[in-house]
Amino acid sequence: MEKAKISAKQLFVLVVLFEMGSAILVGFPLNLKQDAWVAVLLGMAMGVGLFFVYYRLFLYFPDLPLTSYLEKIIGKWPGRIMAYFYILYFAYLAARVLRDFGELLTSTIYTHTPLFFLMSLMIITNAYAIQKGFEVIARVGELFFVVVYLMAIGGFFLIIFSGLIHLENLKPVLESDWIQILKTTFKGTLTFPFGEMVVFTMLLPYLNQAKKAKLVCISGMILSGINFTIATIINITTLGIDLFMRSPYPLLSTISRIQLFNFIERLDVLFMIYLMIAGFIKVAIFYYAAVAGTASLFQFKDYRTISLPIGILILLTALMIASNYTEHIREGLDIVPIYLHWPLQIIVPCLLLVIAFFRNRRKQSKEAAS
Amino acid sequence: MNSFIRIFMLLIIVIPLLGGCWNQRELTDLAFVMALGIDKGTGNEKYDVTFQVVVPANVASSQNGGSGGQGPPVVVYKSSGNNLTEASRRATKKIPRELYYSHTSIVVIGEDLAREGILGVLDALDRDPEFRTTTVVIIAKDRKAEDLISVITNLDKLPMNRFIKTLEATEAMLGENIKVTIDDLLQGITSSGKEPVISGFIMEGSTEKGTSPQNINTTKPPAMITADGLAVIRKGKLAGWLDYNNARGAVWLMNKMQGTDIDFNWNGIKDAVSTTPFLSNTKVAVSIKNGKPFANINIETAFKLSEINTDFDNEDPKKIEVLENRVSAQIKSEVESAIKQVQEYKADIFGFGENIHRNHPKIWGEIKHDWGNQFANMDYQINVKSYYRESGLRGKPFWSDLKK
Repeated sequence: MEKAKISAKQLFVLVVLFEMGSAILVGFPLNLKQDAWVAVLLGMAMGVGLFFVYYRLFLYFPDLPLTSYLEKIIGKWPGRIMAYFYILYFAYLAARVLRDFGELLTSTIYTHTPLFFLMSLMIITNAYAIQKGFEVIARVGELFFVVVYLMAIGGFFLIIFSGLIHLENLKPVLESDWIQILKTTFKGTLTFPFGEMVVFTMLLPYLNQAKKAKLVCISGMILSGINFTIATIINITTLGIDLFMRSPYPLLSTISRIQLFNFIERLDVLFMIYLMIAGFIKVAIFYYAAVAGTASLFQFKDYRTISLPIGILILLTALMIASNYTEHIREGLDIVPIYLHWPLQIIVPCLLLVIAFFRNRRKQSKEAAS
Repeated sequence: MNSFIRIFMLLIIVIPLLGGCWNQRELTDLAFVMALGIDKGTGNEKYDVTFQVVVPANVASSQNGGSGGQGPPVVVYKSSGNNLTEASRRATKKIPRELYYSHTSIVVIGEDLAREGILGVLDALDRDPEFRTTTVVIIAKDRKAEDLISVITNLDKLPMNRFIKTLEATEAMLGENIKVTIDDLLQGITSSGKEPVISGFIMEGSTEKGTSPQNINTTKPPAMITADGLAVIRKGKLAGWLDYNNARGAVWLMNKMQGTDIDFNWNGIKDAVSTTPFLSNTKVAVSIKNGKPFANINIETAFKLSEINTDFDNEDPKKIEVLENRVSAQIKSEVESAIKQVQEYKADIFGFGENIHRNHPKIWGEIKHDWGNQFANMDYQINVKSYYRESGLRGKPFWSDLKK
C-alpha cells in the first residue's frame, strides 16, 4: 500500500466529485418522469445507510483496504478470490465511466473523432496522475472542486434568470406508484451513484484522521445527493417531461437552453468542462482502486509498475464492453446493477460485516475468558 | 543516446494529443446555414429544402461601412429529398462547402407542407448536435418557404435576423405573434394535453424583386416580410389560422402577452381612445363540472392611456372606471372568440388538458383519450380585471379646450 495521507477536506471533495460524477450526466432515473427526484433522494438516503456498512468494516480494519481485509474476514484463499473479483469490478467500472465520457464527447462535439482517441487521451492523463500517487489526485480534486462549484452556481443563476424554470412541470407529484419508485431506486439511484461508495473502502485508510471518516463521507454523500436532486429538478422544470425523457444527456440540453440578453448563450462549454473534470476524477478513483488492489493482492513492491498496464486494460475494456451506445446504456441500466452492483455493493459487504462481527465477538469473548 | 530516447518517447506520448484536432474544420470550408426553408416537394421527393447561406465577405465589409460588399449578404441553395438529411447531403453537390448548422436561427415551413404534416421534419432538427433547439420555427402563410428565405432585407443585413427581430418586436408591441422554438413545438406535439402554435409570416410584394439588390437599394422595398397570424397545429398538421384579434385573444390566454393596444369608440368617433396594456397575468384552473371540463380563466392587466382623440376627461375616476370596464370587456370578447375558433379546430393550444393532468391526474386518465372532443365541447368562464395606471406626459387632452 502506498504511504499516502490525505486530509479530511480532500476526502470530502473527492467524495462529492466522485458521487456527482457521471451520475449528473447520464444517471437520471428517466422512467419516473416528473418523480425522478424522489428516487434520487431515496437513493441517497439508502446509500447513506449502505455506507454505514462500509464504515463499520473500516472500523474493524482502519489500516487496510478492502482487498486486504477480505482475507482476514473470510480466510486466505476465499478472501483472495473475492479481492480479485473486486479488482475486476473496479477496473470494469473505470472502463464504464471512461466509455460514458467518450460516448458523450463523440455524440455531441467531437462527432468525427474516433472513440478510441478520446478515451486514450483521458486514460493517459489518468495514468499520469496515478503514477504521481493518490495525494496528487486528491489535490487535483481540491482544485477542480472550486471550478465545478463556480460553474454550477453560475449556471444555476443563469438558468433562473433566463426564466427557464417552470415549476408546474413537476406536477402531478408522485404520479408513479411507490412500487415503481422503489424498484427504480434499488436498480438505479441506490447503486449508481450512491452505492459506488464501496470503492472508498479502498481509500479510507489514507485518511489522516480516521475519526472523521464517517462525518466527511456522509456529508459528502448528502451534499452530492442534494446537488443531484437539484440538477434533476432543474432538468425536469426546464425541459419538460417529454424532452427530459428523450434526452440521453438532459443536462446538456438544459444548459444549451440558456439565453440571456442575446449575449450569454451557447454555454455548452460549461457542460464540457464539467464532463472533463467529472470523468477524470471518477475514472481516476476507480482506476486507482484497481491498481492499489492489484498491488496489495499480488504483493507488488511498487504499485507504479502495474499502473500503465491496467490503464491499457481499462482502455481496451472500455472499447470492448459494448459495440454501440445503446448497448452500453442498456447494460448499465439493466444488467450491471443486478449482476454486479447488488452482489458487490450490497450483499458481499453486508455478509462480511456479519462475519466480522461474530468473529470479533468470539475473539473478544476469548480474550475476556483468558 | 539516453536523452535521445527520452525525447523520442516524449514525442510519441504527445501524438495522441493530436486526436483533439481530428474534428477540425476550417472556417473557409464551412457554409453557415442561417435559415432553413422546408417545402412540400414539387418533384418525386417529399421535401424541397432551401438553405440560406451567409456570404461572409459581403457581410463583413458592409458592416464596416467599407466600399466593398459587392453582392447580397446571403445566397440561397435548393435541394430536395425524402428527409432532411438526404436533402442536406444532396445540397453539397451545389454548395462548395460543408453545411454547418450551429448558427441556424430560423426554420421556415411552407404552408402546403404544414397542412400535410410537419412531424417528418422535426426529428432531424431535434437530434442533430449542431442544430440548436432554440431555433425559431415559423410558417410561410400562403407561400412557399423558399420565397421567404430568398428575400434580402434592409435594416438587418442578414435576412434571418429580420424574421427574429420582427417577431420579437411584434410580440412585445402588438401581441398577435409569439416566438416558438423547436423545443416549444416538440413539447406541444408530444404532450397529450396540449397542442402547439406557430407564428405565420407572409410576403408582400414580388418574389423576383425581393431577391435582387433592388430590394435593399431603395427606401421602399418592393418585397417585404411581415408577421401575420398564428397557426394552430393539431396532431402535427396545420389546422387553421388565428388572425388579428383572435390571435391576440389566444396570446392573452396563453399568458404570453407582453404589450398591445386596445382602442375604443368614444363620443361617436371611431377608435378615439387608445390604451396600451403593458402588464398582464393569466391564471387558468380547469376542473370538471357536470361531467364536462370547465376552465376558470382569470386575466389581470394594467394599461396606460396612449392616445385620446376626443374630449375625454381622464381625470374623472368615474370615466376611468368606465374605461377599465371597456378594456376588460374587449379582452374578454377577444379571448372568448379565440377559444371558440380554437374549439372548432379541436386543438387545445391553451394547455387545458395539461392543466387537468397536473391538478387532477386521476380524472385525466379517464378523459385523455377523447381530449380533442372534450376540449371542443368544454365550458369556460372568463374574468378580466384591468387597472388604469397613467396617461403619459399629459393629463386632459387638448380636445377638452377646443370644446370651450
